[in-house]
Amino acid sequence: MIVLARRLAQLVAVVLAVTFLAFTAMNTLGDPLFNVVGFVAAVDCDAVVAGEIEDISSQGGTTLGDCVVVAEAREEFHLNEPLPIRYGRWVGDLIRGDFGTSFKNRIPVSTVLADRLPKSLLLMGMAEVFAVALSVPWAIAAAYRANRAMDRASTIGAFGMLALPNFALGVILFYFFVVKWQIFPSRFEDDNLALRLKSLVLPALTLGMPLAATYFRLLRTDLITTLQEDFVVMAKAKGLSNRWIMFRHALRPSLFSMVTVFGLNTAALIGGALIVEQVFSIPGLGRALVEASIRDDYPVVLGATVVIATGFVIINFAVDLAYSYLDPRVRRES
Amino acid sequence: MDTPPQVDPAEQFGVVVARRLGFGFWIAAAWIIIIVTAAALAPWLPIADPNETGVGGRMDGPGWSNWFGTDSNGRDMFARTIWGARVSLIVGFFSVLLGICVGGTLGMIAGYFRGIVDRIISFSVFVLLAYPGLVLALLIVGLAGQTLPIVAMTLGIVAIAPIARLSRATTLAYSEREFVAAARVLGATDRRIMVRELLPNVLIPMGALTLLGMAITIVAEGGLAFLGLSVEEGFSWGKMIVLGSSPRTLREGPWVAMFPIGAMFVTVLALNFAGDRLREYFDVRELGIGAA
Repeated sequence: MIVLARRLAQLVAVVLAVTFLAFTAMNTLGDPLFNVVGFVAAVDCDAVVAGEIEDISSQGGTTLGDCVVVAEAREEFHLNEPLPIRYGRWVGDLIRGDFGTSFKNRIPVSTVLADRLPKSLLLMGMAEVFAVALSVPWAIAAAYRANRAMDRASTIGAFGMLALPNFALGVILFYFFVVKWQIFPSRFEDDNLALRLKSLVLPALTLGMPLAATYFRLLRTDLITTLQEDFVVMAKAKGLSNRWIMFRHALRPSLFSMVTVFGLNTAALIGGALIVEQVFSIPGLGRALVEASIRDDYPVVLGATVVIATGFVIINFAVDLAYSYLDPRVRRES
Repeated sequence: MDTPPQVDPAEQFGVVVARRLGFGFWIAAAWIIIIVTAAALAPWLPIADPNETGVGGRMDGPGWSNWFGTDSNGRDMFARTIWGARVSLIVGFFSVLLGICVGGTLGMIAGYFRGIVDRIISFSVFVLLAYPGLVLALLIVGLAGQTLPIVAMTLGIVAIAPIARLSRATTLAYSEREFVAAARVLGATDRRIMVRELLPNVLIPMGALTLLGMAITIVAEGGLAFLGLSVEEGFSWGKMIVLGSSPRTLREGPWVAMFPIGAMFVTVLALNFAGDRLREYFDVRELGIGAA
């Protein structure tokens, strides 16, 4: 129980720290006002009111009216308050479930997230399914006859796979399957579930194949080690079939490092999804984040940051729980 | 499982019989040297001007006059691939250098002094790691601008956290050792112990990490390019791949994207392989003389 409470406190602390960093960075490096009112934001309004800057509105310059717009926008988005207070206000709103309003079109950020997040989750979920479906049988086959031709070829293949950046793999797959053979659609089609799944096959493969190579390497090594354990010899002596030994005795204790890496890899997966969404023009959360950060639309950036950081910490928490399921020794210790 | 899986007996008993880098390492090293030399000497090599249009026809395939073909503006892709290596390698090298200088130092301080300093640094590292590096880089470059120094610095900042973690772990392990205790008994200052006793030991795993880190940052720079956030002036391999990957360019001249992809793939492969071999080579624990 205490462990759980500590982990939860840690989770909250990390999310707060990450969002505070993002909040400060957005406000010091970018000019949020610029995106609300445009170029007028750069005008020194105090000087205009004092009459120090000439009113050159006829040549597309500044007017007192523009300054009123700027002042109103400042008021509306609370931009004239000090930074810590604004951050506090933002956290308060967040706790009540209010993510704020996007500077662009004034859409609620929660609407943007609700629209974009499911697509990204579907993409990442499919990628993980592909990765596991590819790597587990592949690793079992390789470890079954370790150091034979097939094992060696797979090991080299996995090493090469890891050196191919995901965007490069995406471009290669796009070239063959979309441009040359025209098997898959060139953009994301959202009309029904079947189409959605079909347009996500290539992106998910792009994301999943390097992942499969990582899982393969770990599982293969662990399986080979496990197969040399005494209990495997014992099982063999009892006359159990190879298949039974592999699946019922060796596989579960070998999944350990794969599960660890599943947690650690989430960051890479999210970063990869960002790029893959860009390569295959999928309107997911990553694309929303890219667009928003270029526009300094910080309510959206912060909303996406909260979702990503929280998801990441929760997954690692779940991985810790999975340990105790896979390895009874961990369960007894805690 | 008809025969028990064959495992290297050396591996099994934790003894490495012979320490050799192997043939593959030298091939990888040779490729790295070639690509670095070509990038460094690009202005003096007898290749076309990478920005000159109309060197060949539009979208000429690979051939004798233009080895890697030409793009839609008739620019020579071979020259561009060599020039693209400059930006990619500069970003890769300097970001890892920054990461090692800052992250390595922070990790050593945390691992050596422990206590509250360690807590603060470890929590900061944890926060940095709790956020996908690429997203962090995207935020910084998106806000601070797309110049070469900023891109390199940003990827360096992203590299700080994992490097600090490794350096802290290594320092923790070594500061328990007898030679550190001996130095302390002899009255050495903290600073002297850190620089003279610990640093040489921490630098060894870092050295291998440099090559692996360069591979990661070269790829990360390409990722930024796909987000439209690579260097604005000039071009890297990543930016070349982006330019070549529009459906139209892919249809008319796939080589425009494929040659930079190939160059990046082979270079990353070589860096990964050489880095892996170096790490194994310098891993004293495998020799059986390190801490158990």
